[in-house]
Amino acid sequence: MDLYEHRILIVDDEPALQKMVSDFLYKEGYRQVAVAGSCREARGAFEREHPHLILMDVMLPDGDGFGLLKELRQESEVPVIFLSARDEDENRLRGLGLGADDYITKPFLPRELILRISAVLKRVYRARDRQCDDVIWLGDCRIDLGSGVVYRQDPGGEEGVFDKTATQTALTAREYAILKKLAGNRGQIVTIDALCEAVWPEGNYGYENTLIVHIRRLREKLEQDPSRPRHLITARGLGYKLV
Amino acid sequence: MKRPFFYRKQVRFLSYSILVFVLAFWLTLLVNFFLLLVILLKYQEYQIEYIKGDAIMEELALTDRGYELSEDMGRKLDERKQWAMLLDGAGKMVWSYEKPKEIKESYTLSDMARMSRWYLEDYPVYLQVFEDQIMVTGLPRKSMWKYNIQFPMSWMNYMKRVWFWVLLFDFVWILVLAVIFTRRWSRSREKARIEWIAGISHDIRTPLSVVLGYADALFSSDLKEEQRQQAAVIRHQSLVMKELVEDLNLTSELEYSMQALRREPVCPAVVLREVAAAFLNDAREGELEVEMDIDRQAEGIWVSADRRLLVRALRNLFQNSLRHSGQKATRIRLSLCRERRFCRILFSDNGIGYSREMLRRLNVKKRQRPTQNIHGLGIVCKIIQAHGGKAVFGNCPGGGGVCKIRLWLARTPKSDRRGNQGEAD
Repeated sequence: MDLYEHRILIVDDEPALQKMVSDFLYKEGYRQVAVAGSCREARGAFEREHPHLILMDVMLPDGDGFGLLKELRQESEVPVIFLSARDEDENRLRGLGLGADDYITKPFLPRELILRISAVLKRVYRARDRQCDDVIWLGDCRIDLGSGVVYRQDPGGEEGVFDKTATQTALTAREYAILKKLAGNRGQIVTIDALCEAVWPEGNYGYENTLIVHIRRLREKLEQDPSRPRHLITARGLGYKLV
Repeated sequence: MKRPFFYRKQVRFLSYSILVFVLAFWLTLLVNFFLLLVILLKYQEYQIEYIKGDAIMEELALTDRGYELSEDMGRKLDERKQWAMLLDGAGKMVWSYEKPKEIKESYTLSDMARMSRWYLEDYPVYLQVFEDQIMVTGLPRKSMWKYNIQFPMSWMNYMKRVWFWVLLFDFVWILVLAVIFTRRWSRSREKARIEWIAGISHDIRTPLSVVLGYADALFSSDLKEEQRQQAAVIRHQSLVMKELVEDLNLTSELEYSMQALRREPVCPAVVLREVAAAFLNDAREGELEVEMDIDRQAEGIWVSADRRLLVRALRNLFQNSLRHSGQKATRIRLSLCRERRFCRILFSDNGIGYSREMLRRLNVKKRQRPTQNIHGLGIVCKIIQAHGGKAVFGNCPGGGGVCKIRLWLARTPKSDRRGNQGEAD
């Protein structure tokens, strides 16, 4: 299912915020956005629309979002992102273990909200984003994250054109995990700790040296000159960045 | 000069305690005095009602016809329904006035002893001796409660010794009550204040979301450059307001220690990298440079901290440096090292440093820390102090400000003590 075909329900009692968020979602490409201003309206809209994702304010005029989620959880596993305006809500959210998929504190930047919504939809429904497929281009390198193969055009070949002469190198599982994490945050520094967490989620303390080894091997596969990397850049003392 | 907030808070608490103490003390005294007054007045009333034997004796004259009572005294006795009789030395009645029928006319020595202090046929009676005669005055039945109080002398001596301590106990008791009441009262006031601030910040956040959202949308739209810049200013100022609202909430919670720290094992090296990377990712090209210097030994150290608050403290330091650097490119140097049972974080920048006044206010003792105007950095101090650590601000000799943070180390969580394991794919 296309990412933008998912139905989103916004539950917030502030009409200006409802309108703003739904406008941004429409602009982003989402076609089915419903709004509700209270728990009662939300229950009705949920029955009617069968949303794929609910964006819910914690404080509603006729109850609180946590109670409503508990109620909804009895009949549905629909992903919920909470919009909270109180710092205490974060603690409550953690403590309650309600199974909310994410939360965002007000005020927020619309881009951040849209990113979180699409991240949850992709994770839950494995939705395909038109704008982001599984292929990454890095100069004369094409990386197919679907198959975990790096295609590199030989120097001297026509740039951007891959023929049978392009060398193919397979990524190892660790290299694949590192590259996927970096590609997901392309242009941004990803800390050593976040990379270790992505590669060794079961406990990542003390893997920094191993990470450096994997990065070096990855550079050998991706970079024209691994000693002078152009795409997989080191942020000294912090982490790495894919540009 | 304005007194620091913490100082004022202490003084206020103390004055309320003293006030409640003085009030309670005076109230207790007043109540006791009032009770005493009531009892005395009542007692006085009985004193007036009861006519003593000598007064009757004065109005009693021995004439040829026998004893005669003056009319005036007779009326007075009638008014009080009092009766009287005069006995001679042998216990025989020689005169009586309104004597009830059941009262005998002659008495033996044992009768006399029996009635001398208590009752005669249930009539409360008082005896008074005049030479060889005894004047017996009686009051109506059930009009007077008589009880003989007596204490051993040793007990009275004991009381003489302990009365001071009893009074002292009363004094301390009142003092403790005063403190308890004042504390409860001031706690409820503080709680109300925190809730009020939390409510206000909640109410501000929703409209601020709309302002920030539309400003961001306008900035990303195809407007003229000038209008886009204006939208950028609105967006930036909205973000500043967001930080302020969060700081306000956090300050009030930390101020009154109402927020329990959600402590967990936190690796400071990870937090430092995370915050630095987030700021670098958000910064414009060339706006920010971060130099990380994390000691190898410090990589694996842990502190027991509220991660959210620790991130907040570091973010505030970064934001302060970016806002007040006065340079085109802000250079920040972050170092982490281990010092026996502590970890030391050094945060320095190439900015204008801190003014003497600011340093004085930031580095004062814990209880006197003011909160005006230095919100962001004040919160850094508060967060570190809430964790039992210390934050000291200063200026670098070569320019720029520095903040030294010292935190207690925690024991390394066993689950993560895996060591640097080599591994192959």
